[in-house]
Amino acid sequence: MRALFTLILTVSGFWAVEFAIFHTGAYSLILRHDSSTGSVETYVRNELKRNRGTARQVLTIGDSRTGFLPRYANDLQTGYQFASIALGGSTPRDWYYMLRGVDPKADRYSAIVIAMNDFEDSEILEDYSVRATDLYYVIGRLKYSDIPYFAKSYQHDPKLEWAAARGIVLKGLIYKRDFQDFLLHPADRIAMAQLARKDSYLWYYNYVGTNSSMEGVEVDWPNRTVTVPVGFTQAQKTAYEYQFLAPRLEYTGVRTAYLHQWLGKIYEHYRVSKTRLIFLHLPRGPFVRPDQPAFNPHSSIRELAHQPGVILLPERLFESIEQPSLFVDQMHMNGPGSAQFSRTLAKEVSHRLDAL
Amino acid sequence: MLFNTSEFFVFLAIVLAVFYASPKALRRVILLVASYVFYLSWNYKFVILLLGLTVVDYGAAIAIERASAARKKPFLLISLAANLGMLGFFKYYNFFADNLAQLLRFPPHSWTFSIILPLGISFHTFQSISYVVDVYRGEQKAIRNPIDYALFISFFPQLVAGPIVRAEEFFADLFSWKHPSQEEVLRGVLLVTLGLTKKIVFADQFAQISDSYFQHLADHPGGFAAWSGVLSFAMQIFFDFSGYTDMAIGMALLLGFHFPVNFRRPYLAFSITDFWHRWHISLSRWLRDYLYIPLGGNRHGRWMTYRNLMLTMLLGGLWHGASWNFVIWGGYHGGLLSIERIMGRREFEKKPPLWLYPLRALITFGLVCIGWVFFRAATFADSRYVITQLFHGGKQFQALLPRWMVYMTGVSLLIAIIEEKFEWTERLSRGSAWAYAAFMILLLLTIELIGVTEKALPFVYFQF
Repeated sequence: MRALFTLILTVSGFWAVEFAIFHTGAYSLILRHDSSTGSVETYVRNELKRNRGTARQVLTIGDSRTGFLPRYANDLQTGYQFASIALGGSTPRDWYYMLRGVDPKADRYSAIVIAMNDFEDSEILEDYSVRATDLYYVIGRLKYSDIPYFAKSYQHDPKLEWAAARGIVLKGLIYKRDFQDFLLHPADRIAMAQLARKDSYLWYYNYVGTNSSMEGVEVDWPNRTVTVPVGFTQAQKTAYEYQFLAPRLEYTGVRTAYLHQWLGKIYEHYRVSKTRLIFLHLPRGPFVRPDQPAFNPHSSIRELAHQPGVILLPERLFESIEQPSLFVDQMHMNGPGSAQFSRTLAKEVSHRLDAL
Repeated sequence: MLFNTSEFFVFLAIVLAVFYASPKALRRVILLVASYVFYLSWNYKFVILLLGLTVVDYGAAIAIERASAARKKPFLLISLAANLGMLGFFKYYNFFADNLAQLLRFPPHSWTFSIILPLGISFHTFQSISYVVDVYRGEQKAIRNPIDYALFISFFPQLVAGPIVRAEEFFADLFSWKHPSQEEVLRGVLLVTLGLTKKIVFADQFAQISDSYFQHLADHPGGFAAWSGVLSFAMQIFFDFSGYTDMAIGMALLLGFHFPVNFRRPYLAFSITDFWHRWHISLSRWLRDYLYIPLGGNRHGRWMTYRNLMLTMLLGGLWHGASWNFVIWGGYHGGLLSIERIMGRREFEKKPPLWLYPLRALITFGLVCIGWVFFRAATFADSRYVITQLFHGGKQFQALLPRWMVYMTGVSLLIAIIEEKFEWTERLSRGSAWAYAAFMILLLLTIELIGVTEKALPFVYFQF
């Protein structure tokens, strides 16, 4: 009996310590603010702490292409207060858990604006359903009760499915890279984490983007060539060639299934609330490929658009931004591009919401 | 199925559950089946080899026992030929064929084959040999039940990398098997956890540094880098092998078997003689009983003693792997042991006074580290380069070890010193439940946060 008691004490003690460190948010005191986990936690924390005032709230979410800078939107005084938790490298799976984190009761926002690359569910090279990094992005948001759904979402890769379940139970396994990095310079990390907790909201809010642009870059569609001016590197040219000239992937439905699952999950979260879900089609890039994806009437977004409370913004709303001078690279808007994008979006969203 | 994988722990849990849920009469069969399943999980083809050697040695031992004194030897020779023949072919054939080709000026690899080394062959053949020799010497009764004998050879906790258990120890446990006591259960769990910590927290972390150094020597010039690389390997190999051994001993304990201690804080040794009393003890003991003493030991004068020491260590080195570097490593230790003998055996077996101990331990550790260069480097030329860098590498500062790993080394040294003095891990399973739980929680958290869990790295000694 002594052995049994001691072993039970060991297991329960370990669980208690693990829970206290990783399941209560205590670890975020030393979490690196710009790591994948740290970025999600910082964005969510900042959004929860943000001074809201009395204006109706609109929150934008998306990946690095989103380029929405809330300060430009708020300067317009539309009657809505805009914020963003759009995060580079994040995916719709992450967005669901981030939204659940900032709005657990689905009652804080008039609208959630979700930035999409297109409305056709075009296939991409990576299968997001088995994206291992998602676990790292949202580990701070996951609870024991998420194990079945979250782990199951990796069902196409049993190893990842197991890793996800194990990671939620033993979160330290996921935080370990961060912890080992912490051990390299513990004092600096603690100081940086404290600073980020205090000031990072303003770092992000005041960010205006870069003025660099793709001016001078030319794409010859008939001859399928890209020309770059002096100062651009070969790596940049290769990236442009890939982005603009590589053949489009054939539609298989993989992306639709994935988006259907996670955009559907976000919709479910807000289904009975007053919050509107607004989908926007991001500017397609500094150059618009002639071979645009075919219209897909059964894409996840178009199907969602039939649901009450879901709004699709006009697909060509940001067409004027689709020029080299407003992009920093083949995918991302630069400072002026982001400013124009943010103002256009704020106006359109406020008109739409006012019209309801 | 590596010990440091979740699959193995599932396997272990199933074995323990089935073992204790079964009637006593079936337990040996269950362990045998589990051991063969474990071996099958590596490479099913070599099960035939394991089974074949088991049959030969089982039969040879019975034949030796039954035969008259004059007719025992042929059976012993058959067994030795089978074991050493298999070991020689699988482990050394290519080495000797290659060297012979070079000697006779044939193109390299003229007579070599693509041979995969059967897992654990160095260990189970040594264990078989010791059993048959013990029977020949009349020190051990031949085992009549083939299941018992097969279990002795294939018992999964120590099948692939020891410790090399003597027949009398194993069968004493098997024939008078007792349910492990409460204290033994706790000690078993502690050893498994401690071993896993040593492996994935310490050994695998240090492995990243030593691999990066030894695999890319040209990228890391200078004495600091060389010492970082060599120290990392010294840490890696100790934690790797002693971690494996702790796990093996712990698992055996949970199944009611008592394996001998294989490591006793070897880096606290105050001489090379002392080092070999603390490092891979079961192999040292085997080499002493089945090689050094049969060669004459120290019974035929000083020069014969030195010769026997050198031969034993050279063969011990070669046992580790078919490469001249291992022979040099063995010869280096044989040479150091001989020098210590020349300088006075007692001096190097007797614990020095406290004030001198740290210096002696440091010198010994330094000498051991130099030996590790030959053990780890891929070629003799690499070893020579690293040795040169260690002592003439200039003052280029490129320390590969991050600060926290230096702290880890310091903490492990401190733990070793405390353990040497108080044997507190031994006491932990007898003492307060709270202290035991606190230490275990610390180990588990360390595994979780520092352990290399993304990829299960094989144990270094599995290749031997």
